[in-house]
Amino acid sequence: MAVLNRMDWYDLARNTNWTPSYVTEDELFPPKLAGEFGLPLSAWESYDEPYKQTYPEYVKVQRDKDAGAYSVKAALERSRIFENADPGWKSVMKAHYGAIARGEYAAASAEARMMRFSKAPGMRNMSTLGCLDEIRHGQMQLYFPHEHVAKDRQMDWAFKAYDTNEWAMIAARHFFDDIMMTRDAISVSIMLTFSFETGFTNMQFLGLAADAAEAGDHTFANLISSIQTDESRHAQIGGPALKVLIENGHKAEAQKRVDIAVWGAWKLFSVLTGPIMDYYTPLEHRKQSFKEFMEEWIVAQFERALTDMGLDLPWYWDIFLKDISQTHHGMHLGSYFWRPTLWWNPAAGVTPDERAWLEAKYPGWNDTWGQCWDVFIDNVVDGRMDKAYPETLPYVCNMCQLPILGTPGKGWNVKDYPLEYNGRLYHFGSEVDRWVFEQEPERYAGHLSIVDRFLAGMIQPMDLGGALQYMNLAPGEIGDDAHNYAWAEVYRALRASKKAS
Amino acid sequence: MALFPLTSNFEGDFVLQLVAVDSENTMDEVAAAAAVHSVGRRVRARPDCIMRVRRQDATEFLPRTMKVSESGLKPTETIEIIWEPARH
Repeated sequence: MAVLNRMDWYDLARNTNWTPSYVTEDELFPPKLAGEFGLPLSAWESYDEPYKQTYPEYVKVQRDKDAGAYSVKAALERSRIFENADPGWKSVMKAHYGAIARGEYAAASAEARMMRFSKAPGMRNMSTLGCLDEIRHGQMQLYFPHEHVAKDRQMDWAFKAYDTNEWAMIAARHFFDDIMMTRDAISVSIMLTFSFETGFTNMQFLGLAADAAEAGDHTFANLISSIQTDESRHAQIGGPALKVLIENGHKAEAQKRVDIAVWGAWKLFSVLTGPIMDYYTPLEHRKQSFKEFMEEWIVAQFERALTDMGLDLPWYWDIFLKDISQTHHGMHLGSYFWRPTLWWNPAAGVTPDERAWLEAKYPGWNDTWGQCWDVFIDNVVDGRMDKAYPETLPYVCNMCQLPILGTPGKGWNVKDYPLEYNGRLYHFGSEVDRWVFEQEPERYAGHLSIVDRFLAGMIQPMDLGGALQYMNLAPGEIGDDAHNYAWAEVYRALRASKKAS
Repeated sequence: MALFPLTSNFEGDFVLQLVAVDSENTMDEVAAAAAVHSVGRRVRARPDCIMRVRRQDATEFLPRTMKVSESGLKPTETIEIIWEPARH
């Protein structure tokens, strides 16, 4: 019997919108889970996924992808790439695996929500494959780092991080819980796939794969590329859903979900990706600054994606465009200064050559962030290491859960964005973070930031030791300078030659 | 006498920090407590200046001898610590 072409049967086979007779439509698709937009099943039948794939096709392609990535790993297992890699690159791997691997597993459950509760048949099919993608990503990104656990205890955080109260993980969980674990199927498609994956992750994975290849880590490069090909498919789930909402008069709700998710994604990338690109990556391997990367790959492409869809740019776009040359410098200085609270060893990235690069890419860097680093560098050179570590907590934002920061030195513009709600004083890192809270205060009001927990006495004893214990950071896992301060030698030499002359 | 948490926004520094003071501390003592976490760590000392405390966005400083308990500051409220040239 001749086999029909895929497109001759695809629409019919995936269009399983039966008319329920034993239960009501709302019982079959509870609005809380399916999306409270008041649109009937028939409205969602116009959802047209741009990337059509059948299950047999999916299995064949995925099998090939897995074979490719795993065979590269097997072939390079004795290559000692990990042992010989720059410590800055190892930190990139550790930060990535810890922040991402278990989040991918969690994303499988978000995809499963769309799979079961979306009224759009095409979305259900796409997210069935998306769910399997996310399980694959979780498994791979736990299996690949596992070979390094015996060599480096921080690699164990690939698995461990998601279950801890480490501050960056609280921030990541708060964001992912908001956009994918506690939203209806349609909101997940907009906030996770359209805003986070199309807007940020897809491009981040492209950049990271290129960085890995540049660093000579072909196992990681192949892994990331393999994942990215899945992302670029399932990231397209949200686009057609936005179209349906806009066509049916729900643009405002769609826009708000995009605006909330894009801001949260930006803040997370400012602490994860910004420091990696502008500080951890060895100077000779840097292709673009974080700002250039953002402008070329994120801003331009996302602006096009939004306008093609009939959406507006988020109301805070001017704030965002200004922040992409500033926020991540503070996130780097903050995560570096509080480095005992990380599960990786951050590279300082502030040798005279690296500073010249930063000044060229971000004019004014030396007069702003450079002024803070000057004091820090003097302490390291003079051996005053007690002053090179913190003795209190940075105040973190009650929305993004990241430190509230701004530009220091001559451009000092640090500011709190407070809000009193039901007798409690909340603090936010920006006007936008506060706006997100105000859209649905009850959704966020009960959450305690790491500082709130400290003040509530949940962290004992109330010192760095107690905080590290609370964050589940054991000896051998606690972060410190990636290069063990070897970079400070050049400053010592400079000082000696100055004295001699 | 009670432990009183404030949020320090120190001039020249890049981040807000938690500072624990006592409700009976004066504003000069509050500034000194905040300085511990910024000056000499990421902000250079300025021997020609004294440190003054003000509410965020305020133009007037709180009196140097005013106690936290008299200031109306709320727990965790953000204060700005500003360098003021010392009068000679």
